[in-house]
Amino acid sequence: MKNFITLFQKEMLESKRNGKWIWLPVVIMILGISQPITTYYMPQIIEKAGNLPEGAKIEFPVPTGAEVLAATLSQYGTIGTLLFVLATMGVISQERQNNVLTLIMARPVSAFQYIASKWSSQVIIALTSLFLSYVLTWYYTNLLFSPVRWIDVLISFLIYSLWIIFILTFTIWLGTFLRNSGGIAGVSLTLLAALSLLTGLATRYMKWSPATLRDQATSILIDQKNLDTFFLPVFSTIILSIILFALAVNTLKRFEHF
Amino acid sequence: MFVQVNQLQKVFKGHTAIKGITFNIKEGSCTALLGPNGAGKTTTLHMLSGLLSPTKGTITYSKERDYRSHIGFMPQHPTFFNWMTPIEFLQFAGKLSAVPKNLLKEQVNNTLSFVGLTEAKNRKIGGFSGGMKQRLGLAQAILHQPELLILDEPVSALDPTGRREVLTLMEKLKERMTILFSTHVLHDAEQVCDEVLMLKDGEIKWDGSLTSLKRTFSHTAIHIETVEPIKNAFDNLIKPHTIHFTTENNATILEITPSLHTNDLLTTLLSKGYTIQRFEVTEDSLEDVYMKVVEI
Repeated sequence: MKNFITLFQKEMLESKRNGKWIWLPVVIMILGISQPITTYYMPQIIEKAGNLPEGAKIEFPVPTGAEVLAATLSQYGTIGTLLFVLATMGVISQERQNNVLTLIMARPVSAFQYIASKWSSQVIIALTSLFLSYVLTWYYTNLLFSPVRWIDVLISFLIYSLWIIFILTFTIWLGTFLRNSGGIAGVSLTLLAALSLLTGLATRYMKWSPATLRDQATSILIDQKNLDTFFLPVFSTIILSIILFALAVNTLKRFEHF
Repeated sequence: MFVQVNQLQKVFKGHTAIKGITFNIKEGSCTALLGPNGAGKTTTLHMLSGLLSPTKGTITYSKERDYRSHIGFMPQHPTFFNWMTPIEFLQFAGKLSAVPKNLLKEQVNNTLSFVGLTEAKNRKIGGFSGGMKQRLGLAQAILHQPELLILDEPVSALDPTGRREVLTLMEKLKERMTILFSTHVLHDAEQVCDEVLMLKDGEIKWDGSLTSLKRTFSHTAIHIETVEPIKNAFDNLIKPHTIHFTTENNATILEITPSLHTNDLLTTLLSKGYTIQRFEVTEDSLEDVYMKVVEI
């Protein structure tokens, strides 16, 4: 436990020094609030930018606040996933590549403590960024569109967090046996995209898929429908994350050349 | 600390790097692990420090608990977190090795001054020279006052001054802890260690003290040079095949039997009226001995 805290503090300090604590929240926040703002100003933007013929009129149905927030979640699902994977890809491979892992593992540190420190620090940074961004977006949505209940926002955030935890655990696991950061990001993004695609194509067989969590979070905001299959993906995502975490610990333990 | 290594074997993907070696490390000794590149020195040291697990065989430490807290390990090319300062890194390392909190600060400062990095203690490690990194590597290995210090090529990458400094530090550390270090610079091994372990192709070629190694393998030879030709000067003193003439004024006696006294050679030469220009008794250097052992 003591060693876990030491490693965790080092991770936090490192993220502070290399600026991850600044750029990740800022980028995710910009990504979030750009959704309500561009939606609100869309008529003006098109009017100013397009070569519309004289007298043309475009009518936009004004979306509800919940629909805007749902669109924000879909932004998090694409660009957000990319950012989180990029922020996490090198956390283990870098330390292994420059051999500093030898100095750590020559001390009484267990593979579990090491992976746990990496995992928890990355999860905390990612979820803090997501939370700040989501709350800020919610504020703008209430301001510009119809209000959304805070409890819906909170529950959709919690469900969405599980998806983030899943992609982070997945990326960390890949980092225990792939050496190249770019390779980790590539493999991770490809497989996550494949999972999302498969979930969309074979809905009937993929009810357990972590990718359905994103739809669940959306439907909590919009119509509260499809909640009968709510617990299956939550449960399976938690189980899958635990398995990936255990696999990561095991791979690091057996991995010989640090 | 006493370490017992029994039938240690390591296989990497079908290639046997270590072929069942057995040796002991005595408490308080300073052992040099010698051998050509690829002999398995680093693999052996990594197994001893717990970074690699042996394929077969056992390593027994006299300490029962997690022995890693009693070992200090310095890898061949120590690397650190470049964004940290030496103080931060040593505190991080000290906490991981369970150095008591109230002693940590003092111990970090003592260690830094011991390796001569006090002035650079608040600079970023990223800007350190190779020699400074090497010294910081030594600092992190001795910080928690281990009983066994394992150093992988501690001096090979250093310039003569840096090498001198590290060897002096090792000389001092020898009094406090058991040291095992690998090197291919034989001169350095000779200066600090008293036990030698020679490895070649994953097998032990020699295990014993430095003096007995020299006694067993080193040859004494006598070189004589005179103004006059000395072809037949020692006819009744030594057997003809043990003497080798480079020129007719130059002789080297290769085999020295206990019955042969160097003084007899001198008196013979003087009584026969030779003018001696050079008379030298030489002993093989550790390098010559090393070549002989490695080529067995």
